[in-house]
Amino acid sequence: MLTYDILDKQANGMSNASDTTDGTVFASPGLMKWRYTKDKLAAASVTVGGIGVIFAVVLIFFYLLWVVLPIFKPASLEALTQFELPADSGDRSLLYAIEEQSELGLRISEDGRLRFFQLTDGALKAESDLDARLIAATHVDKASSTIAVLTDSQRIVLFQHKYRLDYPAEGERTITPRIEFPYGTQGLQAPAGDRMVVRENDDQLTMAVAEDTRITLKQFEKSTSFFDESVSLDEAGQHTLILPRQVDAMLMDPLQDWLYAFNFASAEIYFYDIRRFDAPKLVQTLVAGQVGNTITAVDMLSGGLSLVVASDDGLITQYFPLRKQNSTDYTLQRVRSFDAADGAAVAALISEQRRRGFMSLSANGTLGAYYSTSERELAEQVLAVKGLQLGAIAPRANIMLVEHADRGIQIVKLHNEHPEVSFKALWGKIWYESYPEPDYTWQSSAANSDFEPKFSLSPLAFGTLKAAFYAMLFAVPLALAGAIYTAYFMSSGLRQLVKPAIEVMEALPTVILGFLAGLWLAPFIETHLPGVFLMILFLPITLPLTGWLWTLMPASLRHRVPEGWQPLLLVLPIIVSIALALSLSQPIEAAFFGGSMPHWLDNEMGITYDQRNSLVVGLAMGFAVIPTIFSIAEDAVFSVPKQLTQGSLALGATPWQTLVRVVLPTASPGMFSALMIGFGRAVGETMIVLMATGNTPIMDFNIFEGFRTLSANIAVEMPESEVGSTHFRILFLAGLVLFLFTFVFNTLAEIIRQRLRNKYSNL
Amino acid sequence: MVQTKEKTNMTHAIDMGAANRAPQTRRLEDEKIALTVRDLSLYYGDKQALKSINLQIPEKRVTAFIGPSGCGKSTLLRCFNRMNDLVDTARIEGQLLLGDKNIYDKDVDVARLRRRIGMVFQKPNPFPKSIYENVAYGLRLAGITKKRTLDETVEWALKGAALWDEVKDRLHDNALGMSGGQQQRLVIARSIAIKPEVLLLDEPASALDPISTLKIEELINDLKNDYTIVIVTHNMQQAARVSDYTAFMYLGDLVEYGATDKIFTVPEKKQTEDYITGRYG
Repeated sequence: MLTYDILDKQANGMSNASDTTDGTVFASPGLMKWRYTKDKLAAASVTVGGIGVIFAVVLIFFYLLWVVLPIFKPASLEALTQFELPADSGDRSLLYAIEEQSELGLRISEDGRLRFFQLTDGALKAESDLDARLIAATHVDKASSTIAVLTDSQRIVLFQHKYRLDYPAEGERTITPRIEFPYGTQGLQAPAGDRMVVRENDDQLTMAVAEDTRITLKQFEKSTSFFDESVSLDEAGQHTLILPRQVDAMLMDPLQDWLYAFNFASAEIYFYDIRRFDAPKLVQTLVAGQVGNTITAVDMLSGGLSLVVASDDGLITQYFPLRKQNSTDYTLQRVRSFDAADGAAVAALISEQRRRGFMSLSANGTLGAYYSTSERELAEQVLAVKGLQLGAIAPRANIMLVEHADRGIQIVKLHNEHPEVSFKALWGKIWYESYPEPDYTWQSSAANSDFEPKFSLSPLAFGTLKAAFYAMLFAVPLALAGAIYTAYFMSSGLRQLVKPAIEVMEALPTVILGFLAGLWLAPFIETHLPGVFLMILFLPITLPLTGWLWTLMPASLRHRVPEGWQPLLLVLPIIVSIALALSLSQPIEAAFFGGSMPHWLDNEMGITYDQRNSLVVGLAMGFAVIPTIFSIAEDAVFSVPKQLTQGSLALGATPWQTLVRVVLPTASPGMFSALMIGFGRAVGETMIVLMATGNTPIMDFNIFEGFRTLSANIAVEMPESEVGSTHFRILFLAGLVLFLFTFVFNTLAEIIRQRLRNKYSNL
Repeated sequence: MVQTKEKTNMTHAIDMGAANRAPQTRRLEDEKIALTVRDLSLYYGDKQALKSINLQIPEKRVTAFIGPSGCGKSTLLRCFNRMNDLVDTARIEGQLLLGDKNIYDKDVDVARLRRRIGMVFQKPNPFPKSIYENVAYGLRLAGITKKRTLDETVEWALKGAALWDEVKDRLHDNALGMSGGQQQRLVIARSIAIKPEVLLLDEPASALDPISTLKIEELINDLKNDYTIVIVTHNMQQAARVSDYTAFMYLGDLVEYGATDKIFTVPEKKQTEDYITGRYG
């Protein structure tokens, strides 16, 4: 207020003075008020704008956080209702299944009846009779809801439980179950035995039936009728294996390549290669854990590659077949172990249908949920009911049912949307299925639906830094040296041309830079690789050489070029040396690299050469970053007070000494912030890296290979990710990481800059 | 504490001023000449800023340039160590001799020349370095790295600039933390550290408070025993107090030049008298 009073007085004084001369009123009280209001308005709008920016950034941050947070929500199990076995006839249950909508369950029991019941209350919905007593039942393919049962008349019957959805009224849905027999109700003649495993694919069906120590394998070939597309099975062969011990359980992969047999008491796993069906081969016998253990339960994870084996030492161990290096032989690889939720007594393992998750059931009522890729025990819950033996997980993995010892069923709700995520899964090395060793991998989708998604952000973060590194490697020396020269040595006339010209480069849309880099520069570099390297060699030699030769020129010639305009003299030597480098490219390639340097690198040096590689990105993105760094750094150098330069020169310093000892230290805060802003731009840049790299998420510092950055990854995959899925949220997490990355980096940079600025303040 | 000290200094300075004005007319003919300006003209583009100046600067005396703003006194001063070279459009004709060597000859190394003719600017311009490093700057430029030599010279220069007692305990603090007057004395110390023959002072006290101004004037008085000093000033009292010879310039012309006592008491030209008596300026 005080300042305004003073202003008022001054204004009044002036108005008095002008009154005396021509009678006009300079500042009426109304005008003063209007001035005051304008001032207030300006202050308010600046405040609103500033707070608005902060608010927007915070909002973005919280939006990202809001989308990302659910993946960090721990899983939980919630016991819902329980009820008596539906239409209990006192027979033993063999198998359970749940349909897609998680409304109906299917119970298969020894008496050959298939009972569909409501999961809400256990009410019997439908019932079907196979007219035979059953010995065993197994899932053939969970995706097609195919189940195989072994009858006491040594036949294996395959059927599918299918459901029809009707919407009789708005908001109402009825689900009508039915049973289909793809190979007839009579089934297939099975070898004698009481345990079985059946797998089928489009070409064949293989069954293995075990009795004591003997396994009988039987294979059928499928043929499709041309008339009605019905499938018939023709027996292709039968083979008997004798094992050293009794067979307690068997598993087979969906492609029918491997057969795993288990002896529980000795914890032995027998790994058979049945790819050549006429000559099955025992590849390996191994003991689950330590000798003396007992296996308590086994199952195969979705995808059919991994086995999980629970043993009485309290571990659940994952195995998968792995090809030995440089060999066609396979070995059953122990991958990782989980501590069972309930120490030892895991009675059953049930795998999810669509993900690499599984559940453990224990006799004392403990349920455990695990996920293989993220190596996590997700949740555990002790139920009030005991003696858990059998159960089923809904296809959507949101509901499960377990049968307990008191002939009842407990329904459990699974809150487990994002089990794939753990710190290790995102950043660490993970041993993915069929990989020779643990690795950092990003592969979010594949052609088939039951593949194991690989969500490691490490290669993406690495790619981001790699891109920024190569871009800065190219941009920093050019931009900084150019800025110093322009601000400090160049004549002001030339400077007024050069500075805007470089700043205009910034207006180039990066999509055009990326387009040029990907479609013109990348092929150009591939065909002129030696030339490009010669250029890197020639240019730094040409510039000082030209400068030196210039000093040898007669003074009369030298004085004809005005002070500070000499850089224009460099244009011709630069063009000549580039032309020379490129014209030498072909001969050098022919003479030393067998005609093609990329091939030579690949074959002779073992360095992979991708056409769209880091070199291309370094050049293109460096080009995009140069104007930013140049402009800010130039301003910083130029704004070093002239009296400092003069003070130094007056002490007998040469211009170079003045530059190094006074100008650069004083300009360092500005130059530093130029670098940081350039780096931030390189990290966040999307279009150039998207178009000029192969987007291969690999971790390799090779300059001739591509990479994928966090930002490009979001741009590539966001359109194809399912909203709300783990993949979707991890993409947002990648965005959040990018955000935090630049935020932390900029904050650090700002702190350093403030410190430097304090050091060089008061100028 | 500091205040009382400064007060005593002030009275002391006034006494000294009185002593300086004791009748004692110097004559240029008796002096040894350090710098000779011969027919020096300077153009900024098409505009002539100095018009054929002829002048002799006596050795180990204080010569003051006075005149109204824009009269060319600073431009002339900056000719002595070729600071005008930094102005793209400046063009110089005539000669400026240091001893008997024209400093505008082609073979003159400007950096070496500036080591012989030091300069202090209007606004204190210490480098954003420590006090010690500021003073040692010129020595380091010359490639002196021996710590003992540096230490000794820094102390000598700071003592010479009457700053040693104030800063000896904080030699490694940033020079930008000093007061304006201290900064200006530091800049003088920085200049004398490389032992120049001539010291050019371009309105050295115009940005300072009266007490600091008096200290600078005192310092000039001390320094003239060892250095040839040329000072540009706006302040005629200052010129009268510190200088032995005074040149009055007006619109690029050297109007009158002679012993300070004479210029201030019996100027030959009317313009000089008008300026000194405050008719314009």
